[in-house]
Amino acid sequence: MGILTKVLFFPVTGPVAGIKWSLGKVQQVVEDEITDDAPVKQELMELQMQLELGDIDDDEYTRRETELMARLREVRAWKERLGKATSGGPVRVARDPAQE
Amino acid sequence: MEQSTDTDTQSQAASIEGGKYVYCIIRSDRQREFGSVGIGGGQRVFTVAFQDLAAVVSDTPIVIYDPTRENVLAHEFVNETVMREFTVIPMSFGTVFRSEDDVSELLRSTYQAFSDVLDKMQDKIEFGLKVLWDREKVIANLERENDEIRRLKDEISRHTASSTYFARMQLGRLIEGALEDMGTRYVSDIHEALKPVAVASRSNKPIGDRMILNAAFLVDRAQEQIFDERVKETSRKYEELLTFKYSGPWPPYNFVNIKLKLEKAD
Repeated sequence: MGILTKVLFFPVTGPVAGIKWSLGKVQQVVEDEITDDAPVKQELMELQMQLELGDIDDDEYTRRETELMARLREVRAWKERLGKATSGGPVRVARDPAQE
Repeated sequence: MEQSTDTDTQSQAASIEGGKYVYCIIRSDRQREFGSVGIGGGQRVFTVAFQDLAAVVSDTPIVIYDPTRENVLAHEFVNETVMREFTVIPMSFGTVFRSEDDVSELLRSTYQAFSDVLDKMQDKIEFGLKVLWDREKVIANLERENDEIRRLKDEISRHTASSTYFARMQLGRLIEGALEDMGTRYVSDIHEALKPVAVASRSNKPIGDRMILNAAFLVDRAQEQIFDERVKETSRKYEELLTFKYSGPWPPYNFVNIKLKLEKAD
């Protein structure tokens, strides 16, 4: 008995549970990935450094900056769609719930 | 031509919506103007006051500003201008409030924290120092100075391909290890040279694979020249091997950490 029973007699439960779990996991990973702006910001800093060091010229910089800005906007759009906090845009001082 | 049209459209939108872009917080008990240098095409930069604190702002439509070079430079330029006369607490890029009242509310509710930090930052400025190396040059230098590396290299060049595989592996590992040691040594050397003339320092994550140091130093204005000379001295010392990227003075971005309780305003 033991593990062998499970494998032999319940060949369905294992894989199905596994698939469900991994789909949930994959979705989470994908959501995290499409709403993470850190890699784009990192690339932007690298791009700036390359310009500063003279590795790329102004035209190249502008071209790649445009791409990165488009990606940043995409990340922002996904964040909004998934109800996550976004940076940028109008803000105000958070109201203290105790005072309301 | 096109530029001025853009500006017109933006300022019209701004006057309708009354949004305020905030650059920094200063201590000033009277109204100030800093010229038409604001973000979004030369908006008028002025202050919104609360008691002896003031936020340096310009009119803006309610938009999200992309961190393009043009926008970031505009943000920086204003802070640099203000810094010539004031100690500043910089706001992070892209902070937009819906109205002047919301800005006053920020000053009112965070008054104590802003005051404390302004006291601490009084007459202090930040300098950035990025140090990059040329791996090839450092490796060439290592090969000259490290006996074991030189010996292995000689061995590899004398032998046939089959017997050199492990020697190559070993050489690669040796060089990696030696490089890491060198990097650590350079970085601590530079830190040691500059720490005595700085109030505080902070190391950030290096950008790209050539950078070995990405540091920020908080320096007393009175020490600025000494710090400056020390940086130049140190960079001369490593002229052959390292590239120093020295920038500033900046507002103390890396040394002010006020967590504002802000929420989305729409």
